[in-house]
Amino acid sequence: MRFIVCVKQVPETNDLKIDQNTNKTVTEGVSTIINPFDQLALEQAISIRKEGDEIVAMSIGDPKTKSTLMRCLALGADRAILLDDELFQDSDTFGTANILVSAINKIGDYDLIFCGNSSFDTGSGQVGPELAALLKVPQMTYVESVDEIKEGKIRAKAQTDEGYRIIESTIPLVITGIPPSSFQPSIPPLPKIMAAQKKPYDVWNTDDIEGDKNKFGAAGSLIKIVKLYEPPKREEGIIITEDPEPAVEKLMELLIKDKVI
Amino acid sequence: MIEFTEEQELIRQSVSEFAQKRIAPIALDMEKNKEIPKEVIKGMAELGLLGCTADPAYGGSGLDAVTAGVIAEELAKGDCTGSTCVFYLVQASWGYLFNKYGTEEAKKEIFPKVTSGDWFLGIATTESGGGTDVVGGKTTIKKDGDDFIVNGEKMYISGVREAVNGGGGHVTIGHQSPELGSRGMTVFYLPLTSEGITPTYIEDLGREGISCGGFSIDNVKIPKKYIIGEENKGFYIIHEGYEYARALIAVICAAAGLKSLENGMNYVKERTVFGKPLAKFQEINFRLAEHYTKLEMLKSLGYEALRAIDLEQEGKGDRFETSKIVAMSKMFASDWACEAINDVIQWQGAFGYSRECPDQAAWRAVRSFSLAEGTREVMKMIVARELLGKELTSYK
Amino acid sequence: MGDHKNIWVFVEFKAGVVRGVSLELIGKAKELAEKTKESVCVVLIGNNVSQFCEEFSSHGIDQIFICEDEILKEYLTETYSKILVELAEKYLPDIILFPATKIGRDLAPRIAATLNTGLTADCIDLDIQEGNLLQTRTVYGGNYLADTICPNTRPQLVTVRPNVMDKSEPTENNQPEIIEIPCTIDPTKLKTKIIEKIETNVSDIKPIDEAEIIVSGGRGIGSKENFKIIEELANVLNAAVGASRASVDAGWISKSCQVGQSGTVVCPNIYIACGISGTTQHLVGMKSSKKIIAINKDPNAPIFDVCDYGIVGDFKTIIPLLTEAMRQRLSQD
Repeated sequence: MRFIVCVKQVPETNDLKIDQNTNKTVTEGVSTIINPFDQLALEQAISIRKEGDEIVAMSIGDPKTKSTLMRCLALGADRAILLDDELFQDSDTFGTANILVSAINKIGDYDLIFCGNSSFDTGSGQVGPELAALLKVPQMTYVESVDEIKEGKIRAKAQTDEGYRIIESTIPLVITGIPPSSFQPSIPPLPKIMAAQKKPYDVWNTDDIEGDKNKFGAAGSLIKIVKLYEPPKREEGIIITEDPEPAVEKLMELLIKDKVI
Repeated sequence: MIEFTEEQELIRQSVSEFAQKRIAPIALDMEKNKEIPKEVIKGMAELGLLGCTADPAYGGSGLDAVTAGVIAEELAKGDCTGSTCVFYLVQASWGYLFNKYGTEEAKKEIFPKVTSGDWFLGIATTESGGGTDVVGGKTTIKKDGDDFIVNGEKMYISGVREAVNGGGGHVTIGHQSPELGSRGMTVFYLPLTSEGITPTYIEDLGREGISCGGFSIDNVKIPKKYIIGEENKGFYIIHEGYEYARALIAVICAAAGLKSLENGMNYVKERTVFGKPLAKFQEINFRLAEHYTKLEMLKSLGYEALRAIDLEQEGKGDRFETSKIVAMSKMFASDWACEAINDVIQWQGAFGYSRECPDQAAWRAVRSFSLAEGTREVMKMIVARELLGKELTSYK
Repeated sequence: MGDHKNIWVFVEFKAGVVRGVSLELIGKAKELAEKTKESVCVVLIGNNVSQFCEEFSSHGIDQIFICEDEILKEYLTETYSKILVELAEKYLPDIILFPATKIGRDLAPRIAATLNTGLTADCIDLDIQEGNLLQTRTVYGGNYLADTICPNTRPQLVTVRPNVMDKSEPTENNQPEIIEIPCTIDPTKLKTKIIEKIETNVSDIKPIDEAEIIVSGGRGIGSKENFKIIEELANVLNAAVGASRASVDAGWISKSCQVGQSGTVVCPNIYIACGISGTTQHLVGMKSSKKIIAINKDPNAPIFDVCDYGIVGDFKTIIPLLTEAMRQRLSQD
């Protein structure tokens, strides 16, 4: 079996500055981490892996993304691919999905594709389902855990707005993962970090993946960002430090005065 | 300044995650409970930190000294009490010595249990009569057929309780041919669960998550396989373990000091006095600048010392240069870190003096390092000797 | 682009009733339709959904598309997306509004990619600008807002965050045109199926995602027992009970109450945070609440940086006093 895991490297913090000329965030000098939901996706893949199965970790990025892919190799992926090309930059989710489709076609047959349900920075949660639609395979979203593949089908426990459901699908398909509250991301141990250095690591550009360049990057994006700006600032709150009874009295006065209640 | 490899950065990130998530939140509790929780030791073992300098054949990772330093640095940032730092550094340094000079049999028996976190591995050369003058120690080791019999005592040793209760032992030194003085000492592994070992325990000032104590050694029998290096040649190899430990200590002191400075910086940026942040006062920000500079220098020198150890291992270094740079790196490590942390406590006022403040624990931990693994005075002796020669610096 | 017109609202049901967010989407759709001079249509997909037509007849809807079948009783991506894609390809809407619920966020991107068109997720505001739908959403954990447009393709799709837009007010009755869509699903060709549903929302726990007032407890609550103090206040205010991840992980309260980055993002009128320090992950889940009241023992807790009103103190003493004060106040009205 082959499982492909799509991961994204994100800034460690969302407290970033923006460049209003380009409508982009300034990430220079900001530490990066693997998108936490993507590490979960990788660990889901690892949880059902059997002897002989191959797990490929793939990411769209630049040379700095290597550390995230090396982490995936150290956690248990067998092979890593970095998709690095200027033409990939500034993709919206549709452009991203198209790049991934071309890369997946280049990799070849697959049984499962795992992604995190959404990313820590932009958080739209769209790439997984868009990828599934373009690949014309089923999708399962908000998946907390997966069961092993049996007779060409797989079952997963997915969150719903009422609780959970167990859903079954034929393979291949795309699964997007969201952590259960018990999830503790694994920390790559030293011997595996050292072994990871020897695993295959490829860097592909547009020519390598032979896709339709018009569908990548800014050229292929259907959504345009018109403006990126700070939300209206909340006024500083009124903090009451008196003893309980007068404090509650004061709060009630303020809430009534401000017509909150 | 040293540059780290990609692999070292990945290792750094793993240890940092572990130290920040699993150690930092419970650090002060370790002192209250006087132990490192089993889950933390298991976690360190699963991460591959314990016995990491031993060969992979015995369950270690064969790590080089610089990488061992990266691990020590991150542990120091997460553990304000220094307990896990000590636990780690004695295993890394004396594990290194044991790996290099121990017998196959002993390594196969002991390392797997150390790397799994089941057994403790430490160092015990100090005696109640003295530590600096190793040759002045009274412990003896006598051949007895295929075994050896050890008599004597050790004192102010880390990890006695851990080894006595959980298994494991200490790398120890004793006189095999007392009439030969330094030329008749033997290094060996002493299991603390042996019959004839009677432990005593001491409360020391800091690092309370790891025990401190001593033990008397009364006709303890050890097998030949536990001898480390050649008989009677122990004095010539034991410095390798000390040097490894000293260089790690330099990095640990720098990291602990810099972490405290970070705490202090956050505090003085927020706390106001007379309407302005403490940070605006020159008395505060100049001191911050001085301590920061000294600790960054210390960290650099610590890594240089670790690199010298690696180069010597590869056959590219010079024995005496290594000895000198290691001594240089440890000479002021504890003092400079203590001075910095002392000011951080001062900046925080009464809170700095309370047991809830992590920096007071860090001060107490770091204070030990002008004594442990070779005192500050010994470091000065070594550097003076390297500069002036043995004749001018001999005390005899 | 010229062929595409009208604003559609995908209606979602929950436990057999129309979800509140659907009325919010209709409210917004009507606002937008005034500017674009288009009609507002609703799309009802499910089983026995024609019973809801009545409900929409007083909201100024022009058309109701209905696809009813037993097989559509439970949401499955492959069934709903097939129906909706066929519908959109036939009737060419200009805009489709989906709720940013788990169903909406599963369905909308599938539709978007299948129709080769753009989608913006979790919008908190919509407007019309130069013939395009101007979409506003939060990014970077809520630290920034992004205005986006989909200038080159149609339809323009968005998922909209619940509890932000104003609900549609009933106006005079009109008779929307009802268009029945045949269900073209072949049950033998389905690739997915639901094996089991597990409801964790106990029916008497008010769900947080659409609550107007939430009283929330964090690590500072200390125990399952103590959550009763929070529940008391919630009862008096007819509010939902929320929780930080710490409380859920400690087992004091159900995960369905979790507010935060890996729980639910909420936007109530009033959010009362008790014993919650205000980690970034929690703030992402509630900081766009209209009014935030914080109660915490620690004066340095980050929650005090985002609240409108705060009391530094022990919730065990403060909340019962607040509950009593609220009870008295509300019985006066």
